[in-house]
Amino acid sequence: MSELKKDLIYNLMIKGEREDGRRFDEYRDIKIETNVIEKAEGSARVQLGDTHLVVGVKIQTGTPFPDTPDKGVIMTNLELLPLASPMFESGPPREDAVELARVVDRGIRESESIDLSKLCITPGEKVWMVFIDVHVLDDGGNIMDAASLGAIAALMTAKLPASRFDLGDDTPVPMRDVPVAVTAVEIGGTIMLDPSMNEQRIAGTKLTVISNQDGGISGMQKSGVNPLTTEQINYIVDAAIEKAKEIREKFLEI
Amino acid sequence: MAKPEKLIENGIRLDGRRPDELRPIKIKVGVLNRADGSCYFEFGLNKVIAAVYGPREVHPRHMQKSNSAVVRYKYNMASFSVEDRKRPGPDRRSIEVSKVSREALEPVIFQEYFPRSAIDIFVEVLQADAGTRTAGINAASLALADAGIPMKSLVSACAVGKVDDTLVLDLNKDEDNYGQADMPVAMTPDGKITLLQMDGHLSGDEFKEGLEMAKKGCLEIAQLQRAALLEKYATRMDGESNE
Amino acid sequence: MKMEKKLVIPGDFLSDDVKLADEGTYVEDGKVFSSVFGIVSINKLIRVVSLSGKYIPKRDDIVIGIVTEVSFSNWIVDIRSPYDGLLHISEFPRRIDNVDMSKYLKVGDSIMTLVSDVDETMKVELTLNDQRLRQITDGRVIEVTPSKVPRLIGKNGSMIGMLKNETACNIYIAQNGRVWLTGKDKNIDLAIRTIQKIENESHISGLTERIVKFLKQEKGIPAKKQVKKKEEDNSGGILDELLDK
Repeated sequence: MSELKKDLIYNLMIKGEREDGRRFDEYRDIKIETNVIEKAEGSARVQLGDTHLVVGVKIQTGTPFPDTPDKGVIMTNLELLPLASPMFESGPPREDAVELARVVDRGIRESESIDLSKLCITPGEKVWMVFIDVHVLDDGGNIMDAASLGAIAALMTAKLPASRFDLGDDTPVPMRDVPVAVTAVEIGGTIMLDPSMNEQRIAGTKLTVISNQDGGISGMQKSGVNPLTTEQINYIVDAAIEKAKEIREKFLEI
Repeated sequence: MAKPEKLIENGIRLDGRRPDELRPIKIKVGVLNRADGSCYFEFGLNKVIAAVYGPREVHPRHMQKSNSAVVRYKYNMASFSVEDRKRPGPDRRSIEVSKVSREALEPVIFQEYFPRSAIDIFVEVLQADAGTRTAGINAASLALADAGIPMKSLVSACAVGKVDDTLVLDLNKDEDNYGQADMPVAMTPDGKITLLQMDGHLSGDEFKEGLEMAKKGCLEIAQLQRAALLEKYATRMDGESNE
Repeated sequence: MKMEKKLVIPGDFLSDDVKLADEGTYVEDGKVFSSVFGIVSINKLIRVVSLSGKYIPKRDDIVIGIVTEVSFSNWIVDIRSPYDGLLHISEFPRRIDNVDMSKYLKVGDSIMTLVSDVDETMKVELTLNDQRLRQITDGRVIEVTPSKVPRLIGKNGSMIGMLKNETACNIYIAQNGRVWLTGKDKNIDLAIRTIQKIENESHISGLTERIVKFLKQEKGIPAKKQVKKKEEDNSGGILDELLDK
């Protein structure tokens, strides 16, 4: 990235502006379309500014983990496809992809948004396994929030394919919370929500806060080398809870 | 679904098509921001997206050709694209599909214009329903043109198969599963065949007839491809007529 | 001269006269076909101007590059092409020692540079040894599709000349589609919006008139203020003149 571009972003920041004209706490346009993949049990296409991804939820039966014999299984996988950015390469998932997938997974798991006990078919033998696969098609920055939105939107429209497994009628995935991830970056002491590609590249650090319907926090991740102050973190947490509420009300009505 | 008794009844296929009819096609060119060229292609229930990057630097360097570009093609199926979740990542099938698809496009690309560079084509199958490789080639060909890569022409592709002893164009999933033959074909508008695969059973005459059927299908697709490419600039061209 | 405008795709037939074949075309079986997706321009020869595509360096092009690596005796420069440019230490306007290279140009710095040579393997050599060339330390650099550079410049520089006057910015358009703008922030913003419009509509005829109209509209109410600014800024940078002629 050229020094001129960095200077531009810093100089705008000093004036209280961002490259794309947003306020510091403003998100880019969000578009969510669900049921885009008929063969998946649930799916969503998310556009967050020019970040674009598809989430597919596949559900099938399997054996529970020995330590949770009466609970279903969730698995989250995220692919930074080489189609999505000149920077992504083919091959095994890079650490970024693994981190993103794990944070998305944590948000859904720790918020207990899916009632895992209702995914049990026969304790110790057969449970529903929910695979959440995030395919990033276009990386315009802040994949984290887009992926998390896509995952929850896809789950909210997903069905347990009981009829396909001769287990009765299809039913919705038992959801009881709607976690929403909000990511902020710190650039030269200023906090900005929903970083664009350039902002993300300049920023030393990102902080993602995943919060639930009751305003509680179910997951956090600091990513990047720069330290943050307590004040900065507290500010981000408050802003994230507020913003998550807004996004939830607007896009994720249960 | 279990094998239906008949795949063709009174000359009409189970999805309502005539034997020589293609599934509905939807095309949009220039759908991604990062890629140099891109295309979304729906072919029946198939949903694929193709992106082109390049010409760009080759990594690793030993893959460079001193007098031309290398063309690389990666076909990948999303894990949620099929009925039973597919494990992410390449398998033997996708490696083969990538190879023959690349070879279907290479003859039309002026590779010699860009020594030491790479032209990377990525095809992502979001939903699969028989015919993903042909959908991928159709999409990739448009993504190349969208990226401004010099080419002799576009490439169009579709499959022909045999079900209930009848030749049919563009197999759907059931026809693919329970049919007697499947033959994907890609060609240029002037009739040069750039991809040909076949499995199943066809007589020599059936093959020849089938190939002609595939050619007609490809020409139909070529028209839709042209329209989609021009469509990318159509709204702006309309502005002109108003002035 | 009237330019004919028509969109074509790769493989479209253009002419039976192979002598007319120019850029963006190829000849097969005694006929001329389009090799790219673009606009046909018939002006003695038949050319197809691609609507997209990468910059391919040519000798004597002035380009804007960004230093990506400082190696022993060479700066490696991204010139927005499949091929990096090499700026050898001896092509820096002053004699410098190779231990000091990063002191003069470091990774991330932007330069206005000249393609001094391109060989058949596309090894690209750059120089800063020319009065017109220098490091870019102020203003903004934006990117446009390289094939649209001629439209942005206009016939004999008409488009760019008008744009500079109307926006009171100094604007330099490099052959690799990087555009360097200096001036007041607000003016730069207007110039960038206008350039984006030119880029998007370059294939529609009547472009110049439309752009004039657009600029009038954009300047709308605060027009008086802008006119004043224009006078202030239009004192003319020396650099601007050097670059243009």
